[in-house]
Amino acid sequence: MKTYILKRLLLMIPTLIGVTMVVFFIVRLAPGDPIEAMIRNQSGNIDPKAMKESADKIRERLGLIEYHFLRDRLFGPEKSWAEKPAGAWFWSVDAADKVASAAIGYAKWFRQLARGDFGESIKFRTSGGSRSPLLLMMERIPVTATLNVIAEVLIFVIAIPVGFAAARYQGRWFDRVSSFVLLALYSIPVILAGTVFIGYLGMGGSGWHLFPVGNLHSFGYEKLAWGQYIIDLLWHTTLPVICLVYGGFAYLAKMGRASLLENLRADYVRTARAKGLPEEQVVYHHALSNSLLPMITALVLAIPGLIGGSVIVEYIFSIQGTGLLLVDAARAYDLALLMAETLLYGVLTLLFLLIGDVLYAWADPRVRYE
Amino acid sequence: MSSLLPTTESPAAAVSRSYGAIVWRQLRRRPSAMVSLAVIMLLALAAVLASFIAGEVPIRWVEKGEVSWPIFRYLDNLEYAGMLAFVLAILLPVTIRLVRARAERAAASPFVRAVLIHAAIWAAVLLALVVLRSPERRYGFYLERAAQAESAWFPLIPTPRYPGYDSLPLRDQRPTWQHPLGTDRMGQDVLLLILYGARTAMTIGFVAVGIGSGIGVALGAVSGYFGRWVDLIMMRITEVFMFIPRIVLIIIILAVMPSWVPALWAVVAVLGLTGWTDPYRYMRAELLRIRGEDYITAARALGIPTWRLLLRHAVPNGMAPILVGATFGIAGAVFLEASLAFLNLVQTPSWGELLNDGRQHLETWWAWGAAGAAIFITVLVYNLLGEAVRDAIDPKLKI
Repeated sequence: MKTYILKRLLLMIPTLIGVTMVVFFIVRLAPGDPIEAMIRNQSGNIDPKAMKESADKIRERLGLIEYHFLRDRLFGPEKSWAEKPAGAWFWSVDAADKVASAAIGYAKWFRQLARGDFGESIKFRTSGGSRSPLLLMMERIPVTATLNVIAEVLIFVIAIPVGFAAARYQGRWFDRVSSFVLLALYSIPVILAGTVFIGYLGMGGSGWHLFPVGNLHSFGYEKLAWGQYIIDLLWHTTLPVICLVYGGFAYLAKMGRASLLENLRADYVRTARAKGLPEEQVVYHHALSNSLLPMITALVLAIPGLIGGSVIVEYIFSIQGTGLLLVDAARAYDLALLMAETLLYGVLTLLFLLIGDVLYAWADPRVRYE
Repeated sequence: MSSLLPTTESPAAAVSRSYGAIVWRQLRRRPSAMVSLAVIMLLALAAVLASFIAGEVPIRWVEKGEVSWPIFRYLDNLEYAGMLAFVLAILLPVTIRLVRARAERAAASPFVRAVLIHAAIWAAVLLALVVLRSPERRYGFYLERAAQAESAWFPLIPTPRYPGYDSLPLRDQRPTWQHPLGTDRMGQDVLLLILYGARTAMTIGFVAVGIGSGIGVALGAVSGYFGRWVDLIMMRITEVFMFIPRIVLIIIILAVMPSWVPALWAVVAVLGLTGWTDPYRYMRAELLRIRGEDYITAARALGIPTWRLLLRHAVPNGMAPILVGATFGIAGAVFLEASLAFLNLVQTPSWGELLNDGRQHLETWWAWGAAGAAIFITVLVYNLLGEAVRDAIDPKLKI
């Protein structure tokens, strides 16, 4: 088992490097110059010299500098040109330079990443200077993780029994009604549900002031006993968790239904029935336990979508999690923070997938730890 | 070369029912599919005819005995293109009938031929419009002179909508006969906003999913057919894109998208460029199965060039999951587009924008309620249609 986990962890490394490449090249290949827009956004119109200085500093840090090794050698420095050279030869020299500077930029940026240096966030600054995106994210990961774990457990606990019941009574009214209701739930936009919840159920809204909005804990929650702590947490997370889970039911319930149906048609179920086992035991003991296995994979595969969905939910409920941080970073052109956030989401997804695979290997003895 | 091949004459094709016809017959039996299709047609019609339903330019105008039809001079080139696309889509079955005989003689799919012909007509007309025509833009011209006309047919909801028009006195009105869905906090007619939102949603749904499916099918076909190291490398690359949640990828791309890209096309590009992983997986899996089939071996033995084999024999047989995935994909794209507008990351005329206003102004429930209902209905009908198409094609598809 240990070697299996180790092997899976090692296999994650190339994918992770791929994720860093995708993130880097999205920013690198963007037409126009996001850096100057970012500075203008943050500190208003400043004089060109200061602009160039701070832009160069940020470019250096994020590996976005353009080098002109070949061009300078073959055409001389840009200042010495009477007019901009044209033609295929110049173009290919320039393109070669661009490729080289992208590669160098990536290598530099990656070296910093490997040392744990994610650059500086320009949006979130304290009086002591700018803050590391890593620290900012660390503060917020527990919030997002709490929300998603509660949501995940709820989805699993509700959707799977519904799916199994639909398969058990295939074609009957429960099957039809549940499939339509789940599809309808799946089609309700989160942004509508969230708006309605906050407006009519949240505190500060215009309806019943039932649930607090914006935090996961009451003021002074550290002093609560653990029972009260849990109740307080659940009270605060009710609305966002409902928004996170209701859309996930349809997918998992359908998987559960298909999985049980497949097993009910299997040979071993026919054998069990043929030897005279009571129907209850055939379904609940034989077929059901076998149908649960693929559910682990289905649940794990649903995680990236769920984590993505929590970006919108956190924005609606102003919950200070990583999702809201991402939206804020995007609004402020905070490139260092954006890149770090995207990496974080990639890592989180990979970790969850690893956990899922390990669970599956643990539950199914046929999977060998090779 | 191809004229020497026996595949060019296939008498069997003339007798047998085409795959599309079989699927259509299955679909016809499902009420949910037919209702969804009808609603989608209505939505598309509303999006296409938005200027005739709500706006400020009269359809017919009589002044000093002279009859004119001003709206046709005012319509945008893209609006004409939208109308033409709608008409062409409706006429598709007719064209399929017309080209069937010729296509079957050439052993080609009449459906694909008809689609190609219509696409060519559409592109040619759009090009001609862009080159030859410049629509008139005189804001408020007719509304101000309405008293001078002997007869004027305005759109159903004559709403002024031009820069500089002071609509604030009309703001926050409850639904009335003049404004069937009320007005929003800026005084704009909500029905008009919903119609323009439908336009955005329809454009993004079809175009973005089309781009995404196109990329996915092309990459998936190559990856699945050639296998080995090509497949290995492409699968690793795709995994990277799959492991970053789509909305996160979209947010980072939108953040670095330069501001001169129009919001609508930015969203289309982003959704298209991030939506190819699912079609890729489906097509790859299909081709891994198909490439071992006898007819592919036979085609290869006949010496058909690889690109032709992929295009004519392998890919069409793997389209079923792509079709189902695309139907669900449109629902997802509408959803995502509304969410992006809600997050204020793009400024498209969108249902999401109306909902975002509702967050601060809950009392104008008619505005955000209508937008929410529009998203819900659109997403629901596409999901219902997707389920029906899946059941019609193959209930065991795992999508």
